[in-house]
Amino acid sequence: MIRRSVLGLAAVLALAPMAASGQGTGTVTAGFGAESTMLDPVKYSAGVDHYFMGQMFEQLVRVNPEQRVVNWLAESWSVQEENGKPFIDVRLRKGVKFHNGDPLTSADFEFAYNKMRDPKISRWSHNQAEVERFEIVDDHHFRIRFKQADGNYIANFLQLWAVPKAYYERVGEAEFGKAPVGTGPWKFVSRTVKDEIRFEAFADYWNKDHRPKAEKLVIKVIPEDLTRVAAFKTGAIDFLDAVPLSMVEEFRKMPGVKTLTVVTGNNLFLNFNTHQEKSPFRDVRVRQAAAHAIDVDAIIKSVLFGQGERYVQVGKGGVGYDPELKPYAYDPKKARDLLRQAGFPQGFEIPCYNLTTPREPNVKEVGEAMFAYLTQAGIRCRVQGMEYAAWLNLARMGRNAPPEMDGVFSHMWSQNLPGDPGTAWAGHVHTFVPGKGWGSYSTTSDAEADTMIAELKLTMDPEKRAALARKIARYKHEKVLGGVPTYRPMVTFAWRTDKLDFTGWPYPGYWRGMQEVVVKK
Amino acid sequence: MRPSGTFPREWGKVVTGYFLRRVLQGLISIVGASIVIFFISRLSGDPIVLLLPTEAPPALIEQVRQEMGLNEPVWKQYLIFAGKALGGDFGKSYRWQAPALELVLDRLPATIGLALAALAFSILLAVPFGVLSAVYRGSLIDTLGKGFAMLGQAMPNFWVGLLLVLIFAIHLDVLPAYGTGSAAHVLMPAIALGWYPVAAQTRIVRSAMLDVLDSDYIRMGRAVGASERVLVWKYALRNAAIPLVTILGVYFAAMLGGAFVVETVFAWPGVGRTVVEAVFSRDFPVVQVGVLLTSILFVTSNLLVDLSYGFIDPRIRYDR
Repeated sequence: MIRRSVLGLAAVLALAPMAASGQGTGTVTAGFGAESTMLDPVKYSAGVDHYFMGQMFEQLVRVNPEQRVVNWLAESWSVQEENGKPFIDVRLRKGVKFHNGDPLTSADFEFAYNKMRDPKISRWSHNQAEVERFEIVDDHHFRIRFKQADGNYIANFLQLWAVPKAYYERVGEAEFGKAPVGTGPWKFVSRTVKDEIRFEAFADYWNKDHRPKAEKLVIKVIPEDLTRVAAFKTGAIDFLDAVPLSMVEEFRKMPGVKTLTVVTGNNLFLNFNTHQEKSPFRDVRVRQAAAHAIDVDAIIKSVLFGQGERYVQVGKGGVGYDPELKPYAYDPKKARDLLRQAGFPQGFEIPCYNLTTPREPNVKEVGEAMFAYLTQAGIRCRVQGMEYAAWLNLARMGRNAPPEMDGVFSHMWSQNLPGDPGTAWAGHVHTFVPGKGWGSYSTTSDAEADTMIAELKLTMDPEKRAALARKIARYKHEKVLGGVPTYRPMVTFAWRTDKLDFTGWPYPGYWRGMQEVVVKK
Repeated sequence: MRPSGTFPREWGKVVTGYFLRRVLQGLISIVGASIVIFFISRLSGDPIVLLLPTEAPPALIEQVRQEMGLNEPVWKQYLIFAGKALGGDFGKSYRWQAPALELVLDRLPATIGLALAALAFSILLAVPFGVLSAVYRGSLIDTLGKGFAMLGQAMPNFWVGLLLVLIFAIHLDVLPAYGTGSAAHVLMPAIALGWYPVAAQTRIVRSAMLDVLDSDYIRMGRAVGASERVLVWKYALRNAAIPLVTILGVYFAAMLGGAFVVETVFAWPGVGRTVVEAVFSRDFPVVQVGVLLTSILFVTSNLLVDLSYGFIDPRIRYDR
């Protein structure tokens, strides 16, 4: 580990002069398994959009290698209060330019805000619901004023993206989506849907330490895992995104190839129906029995080939992360005892809904293994596989029609990286409240948890937020509320050492940080 | 038999009448397909839960549903869709937020190219295999030909695709593993897609050849000392090809519809991938356009095949 860090530091130091000059050379050809639908940050709809969008667009803050949020396009920002209402005061970095040469000003963020709060344009307009107005102080100073406090605004990197107002208005929405312009390290060149997207280095990129180290970047879209691997092995691509889980070890041992494995921002867990009167999971002992029944470590090792990180309520480094909180130990005997104490000496039979989706590798197999463990402990699963859309239909609360979630189900809800559980807990731990947005996928109801989660949403101060999240995490853990946390998936990148070098920064998760890839001469 | 005493003017009228009738039938089929796909896709559930983030509040969900017209009764949604479709507006993709027709049409040439290449590959194998199997019935050639063809039918095309990648891209390094851009790129996808129908096509050619080789005019040819090669490859094959031609249209259309797996394996930017991904994300406008275009191509290719009978075999007549 230490050796790796030293090597990484050496690589960074060796690259520093080149980075400072801003003169990248060569072309990086990368193979990605998934493709963005949107390249416009005010219209993006899925996490995968970030892989592509994140090369060209930036936000006010972002995450550093230690997974701390650092100022990016914001020179500084703070949460303040006036007449009992909070506002975020932002001072923009000066000298930042868009790819078309326009300078970045407060008006560009105001423009983005107006687009992002419009439900006809943005899929995330609800994230602006608590904002009262956007106030421009001057070209590099603005305030986001809130009707009431909104902790999620802070948790989600201050939400807004830098979008060039003048260019967007001139070319229109459709054209902007086809030829996007941002402030990021890569300039858009062309795109062929289902095939590839091409970028070139932005010579005027404001962050001289992180200008692209290559001249051109080509991202090929190759959805089939083995074909993507074949393209890498034959040299058609030099950088491989998402090495298949079963091949990670092979890649690590491959001569002339280097890999980087990182934890992703998704959180997987096993959830139970506790909202129905007759559900056995209303008894905390049954929930604890389920938590003791599953050997999550063995599943990670065998089903995920070690490519998952166990977490307890909050991922490492996330808001509210508590290193002292330990997962329920695998103890089938204790699980059976708890079931007996709860009045189920012979166990019981229950439907177990297994989410199957390509969004996370091997998630179907993980579900099957979990349900097999439950069955062994006495919670006898009638397993039913569910494709993602059907699963959403079943899991979503407040529908007027059957079917209803009436058993155990595999579940996932991203807390992002470094991680803030506020949105996820509001969705799957807080009691479902019709019409209010609370508990939209929750089969849990606990008044004390509800109060704390509601308070978390109103808490914008980072320290207070972390303390409250820690308290909720402990409570949630003890009562096994909102399910049993299992793992956070990992992703591995591979590149050829004779052609490339890659330091994996900033934040190799969504953004992939392709400006850090160096083409060797 | 050619309609007696009506050729050529009357025959032209008959063909025109037949053509118009078939076009009408085709249009009915296309409208039928549009109704079926419209209603079936909506049975799969609510697309809004996939479009919006999981934490989206109910008010927002309702608002988006209204904007998309998804709160109307399904029959009314269909009438709105059909009315707009007649004017060339097939709606916007929910996911791509771009015109669905444009999205599918952009991908269509790649799929048609792949389907044609696969069809060519299957014919190139099926015709010689079928002919040789018939000529050397029961011989080793017959067995090997049938075996090779059956292999294609027995192996799923995604597996064939991956096997080809392993052999020709990784081990031999003679063909590109994925993508488009050159003739070399199309070889492996065409084989993976085109191998499957080789068995059926070979059987058709073989049985037709057996019939033809038993016919009087071939026996007469042999009796007058015509070369066996000329008899088989020129005279017999021409007649034996008719049943194959009749089924090629169906195979071509099936390849258009079934190219999804091969497109995924070889990262081929075709319409199959686009439509199947749209099915999973409940992107109804894209599914509708994709299925409608495939239906139109299916109907058109069948029509062209039917019309071509008369040119291939002048004995075939069209009913009035």
